[in-house]
Amino acid sequence: MLKKTTIEKINEVAAALIQKGTLIAPVKEDAGANFREIKDPREIYLDYYNTVLSPKNVFLPQMEDFIKYKLTKSPSEAQQLELNLKPAFLFGVRPCDIKSFEIMDIHFNAAGIIDPYWKARRENTTIIGYAFDLDSPPDQADFYNTLFIGAADPEGSDIFMVKRGNELLLKGITKKGETLLEQLSMMPEGDDKDEKYFADYVQRGKEKRTRFMPLDDEAVTQKYEDIFENNDYWTKVSDACLSCGICTFVCPTCYCFDICDENLFSNGTRRRIWDACMFTDFTLEASGHNPRTKVSQRLRQKVCHKYSFHVRKYNVISCVGCGRCTRSCPVNIDIYSMVEAAMKVQS
Amino acid sequence: MTNFKQIEENLKWEAARLLEAGSVSVVLAYTKGMDEKHPQPFAAKSAADAANIVFNEYCNHNLARYIMRYTPGTKIAVAVKAADSRAVVVLIQEEKIKREDLVLLGIPAAGMKNQKTDEIIDDKTTGGLANPVICDILLGEEIHTGKKASPYDVLAQYEQMDKEARWEFWKQQFAKCIRCYACRKACPLCYCDPCFIDQTKPRWAVKSPQEHGNLMYHLTRFQHLAGRCIDCGECTRACPVDIPLYLFHKKVAKDCEEMFQQAAGMNIEDKPVMVDFKVEDSDKILE
Repeated sequence: MLKKTTIEKINEVAAALIQKGTLIAPVKEDAGANFREIKDPREIYLDYYNTVLSPKNVFLPQMEDFIKYKLTKSPSEAQQLELNLKPAFLFGVRPCDIKSFEIMDIHFNAAGIIDPYWKARRENTTIIGYAFDLDSPPDQADFYNTLFIGAADPEGSDIFMVKRGNELLLKGITKKGETLLEQLSMMPEGDDKDEKYFADYVQRGKEKRTRFMPLDDEAVTQKYEDIFENNDYWTKVSDACLSCGICTFVCPTCYCFDICDENLFSNGTRRRIWDACMFTDFTLEASGHNPRTKVSQRLRQKVCHKYSFHVRKYNVISCVGCGRCTRSCPVNIDIYSMVEAAMKVQS
Repeated sequence: MTNFKQIEENLKWEAARLLEAGSVSVVLAYTKGMDEKHPQPFAAKSAADAANIVFNEYCNHNLARYIMRYTPGTKIAVAVKAADSRAVVVLIQEEKIKREDLVLLGIPAAGMKNQKTDEIIDDKTTGGLANPVICDILLGEEIHTGKKASPYDVLAQYEQMDKEARWEFWKQQFAKCIRCYACRKACPLCYCDPCFIDQTKPRWAVKSPQEHGNLMYHLTRFQHLAGRCIDCGECTRACPVDIPLYLFHKKVAKDCEEMFQQAAGMNIEDKPVMVDFKVEDSDKILE
């Protein structure tokens, strides 16, 4: 099924989704757009290229509380917190970010250990993808083409949305999406011409060029294995790195977390929070020993995890080329250039 | 206006000369990143590396940040703009680095730009200075363009807020913080190892991005930089969620200057205001 609306009328769709549950959509913030829960349909903001923070916090919140306890009481009185989820609608996700959910599923919903929090949120959420605008140039930091992702790939979305001038065409991709689309009765159905435009758009999206290098998964994995101890390369790429956590926090496929007990007066919470391999204390051991004391070792871990270890273990590069790390890096380190340089190192 | 091309040429030439002669083993400068608009800090280690040095209006990163990464005693040349040179001065005052290990390549710079907005940031973040306060070799002509704006002009709006309004303002700003710690990592004077926020015994604040932990982190960092912050604006530029940290730092710097008649990092001979005591010092802070 295909339905259509206009950018001005998107508020009506937003209002209907708010009625049905939790709507998470881009809103305008100081530093740019970000996915947030919306209570007022007017907050929805569609004039964005991509969000500053990735949408991963929708399924893996930066802070997730598991257990509440009191320091003054016995641990047996601790309370496990239940997830009380309303149906959620994640609106306006770009194709490269949708691909990231599939990669994250490997860790939270496939490879042995199932994370009940991730799983519940994933199942509970209807994803409304949104193609990049094919009529304006891609951001120079993006390189999702290199990872075989198109600017208008609908795979992974439940409903996929494309822009036609002032109009938005929404097509149901999965059963879940079809059902929702049917219920959104304020939108008229599209005709054959609209269907054709949609299909053409998806096709045209595949031809839209971001930065591109022919990158073979096996070749890049092998290359990073070969140059793992090449100090020249690692020192060179990490000389500027500040070892802050921005790149990992904005990354849609970085999933490392820390579980800690945090107390305020006598109230305690056991919670999961994002962690970053770029932090010095990420690998700090109880003995005081730290196997990764140098910035170059930490950056190596990050890049090799994405482009080498991950491929060996799960057969897929853990990067979707969304360009966020490059855009946010305070010292302009660019992972694409880093991989490009690696491929040129003679090993 | 600064002749960036000329400075780049001079920087390349001096870097190659110093590395060739073996007078230094590292030259901290900039190189091309993804494109011209995204230069990166760069450590040139050979005369051949020096050819890759660039300098343009987007080279805002404070290179003093990188000096302490090298083993003490390493001879290092550093390209310093006004703010970088002041950070070097503070690091020398605090005995973190030694003057004799450094060759300072001074860059007079006006017209530096924010790479995201293309806005000229001189008055916002360079403490109102265009020329380095200390250097061994000056790579361009000193800039004397008459009256510069006061570095504290940008505080006008902030200072109009009363105590409650400021408290509200900072609470709102800190609510945005995602605790990526880019501010402390970009800061040339945040060198504590470990940083108080990473300590576990005692744990000074929660690690999760909540209001009270965020407040504890930022307010402590602000305190630690009182009388030391040299107004390079790197914390603010690094912040991915645009928290205007510079406002607080500038306000404290202004108070310090008014109370102790001394701005941070202007003279190696000065004692940092927070470790110096004079009988005639202002008691305003205690009132």
